[in-house]
Amino acid sequence: MATTEFASHEWWESYRETVNEDQEMKVRGHDNFDENFYVEIGNSMFLIEMDGGEVENVVPEPGVNDVWSFGVEGSREAWEEFVQEYPPAHNNEIIASDYRTAVKGEDGHLELKGNNKKIWQNFRPFQRALDLMRETQQS
Amino acid sequence: MTIKPPEHGEKEPVTGQYIGVEIDGVNQRVYYEERGPEDGIPLICQHTAGNHGQEWRHILADDEITEDFRVIAYDLPHHGKSLPPTTQDWWEEDYTLTEEKFAETIVSIADALDLEDPVYMGSSIGGNVVLQLGDWHPDRFRALIGLECGVRSPGYYLDWFHHPEVNIAEISAYSCWGLMAPHGPEETRRETMHLYEQGSTGLFRGDLFYYSVDHDYRGQLDQVNPECPVYVMNGEYDFATDPADAREVAEGIGDQATAIEMKNIGHFPMCENPDLFLKYLKPVLDDIKGEDVDVPDEMSPETVGVDLPGATADD
Repeated sequence: MATTEFASHEWWESYRETVNEDQEMKVRGHDNFDENFYVEIGNSMFLIEMDGGEVENVVPEPGVNDVWSFGVEGSREAWEEFVQEYPPAHNNEIIASDYRTAVKGEDGHLELKGNNKKIWQNFRPFQRALDLMRETQQS
Repeated sequence: MTIKPPEHGEKEPVTGQYIGVEIDGVNQRVYYEERGPEDGIPLICQHTAGNHGQEWRHILADDEITEDFRVIAYDLPHHGKSLPPTTQDWWEEDYTLTEEKFAETIVSIADALDLEDPVYMGSSIGGNVVLQLGDWHPDRFRALIGLECGVRSPGYYLDWFHHPEVNIAEISAYSCWGLMAPHGPEETRRETMHLYEQGSTGLFRGDLFYYSVDHDYRGQLDQVNPECPVYVMNGEYDFATDPADAREVAEGIGDQATAIEMKNIGHFPMCENPDLFLKYLKPVLDDIKGEDVDVPDEMSPETVGVDLPGATADD
């Protein structure tokens, strides 16, 4: 379990190291993942700037000068479930959580936002990058 | 363990063969693998959308099931080794699976194999189709086992699954990653993704036409009256058709249907966590064999004696 608070500055530093050291992010096209994405945790927004499958920067509260293609939004409670070692059903992965929001119309889950085409073009490394939030939390 | 590879030079007792099957006036060359006694109870296994019969390889490898059952896992036409028919210009149209074509295909395969009173088992599209089979072919099967079955299952018929600027192999697979429970062995969950990545463009989407568009039994479950038991088994982590959906289906069919909630498993029970699924399946198959067993309405790793880290605590 991470000793730093979830989504704190130190936590995001640890996340960057986790992503940049992840072997899967270096192979099978993950290393061509260059799309910036954001993570909205409750009222806090973080921009993850990607370059070649690595996290270049994490920008808190991005503004008009920043660029991103897509992101994930959800309550802090939903994210805290998502990063558990064994997350509960339907908040276990982004596609599960988004389905329960978008198709089932349920509350309490995460939601994909942004350019759908770019989401699907980058889905595998994007999903891996999100899963590494769990690895960061559990390290 | 069912997932251990054979030793060097060791042959698995699973055999593969092709058979001609006439479906909707077209002769198809259908590949299937089987194991079990020739006079065993036939158990035909239907794969999920865009995939093929290798999803069942761990079930075929199980010594206990294949003692009494002749387990048969086929590839639908166009899937796996069942290549598209050379007599048709199939490349000039979108591959589309309709509920009529799907049910006819399954029954035609059973007929071509000359199977008497087979048990049918399928997952996802293969789980949903127990409703059409029970509705339109009520006396063809000894039992119907629908894994991850729902009255309907919207939301997966996406144009991105055949878009030229999207990696179809990757998203066909990894859009399904979250359908599996995190408790399963990573090697079998990754293998399930690998199987998905082998599908050709349009196949996944074409099957999902049936799954998310054509299949809709809302208000029609009273038409499903098969002359055999129906088992509806849904995994806790299946976000598309969850255990509540299984209960809705079973209640709608009536007394001959049983809903079973499977804890800590998802949409691909037979291949994401085959060892746990085999434990969940055992009382159902024992019931079909006529043994005096209670089929629980909920099973967990704890209740079937599987030590699974992180398993959901029993209620």
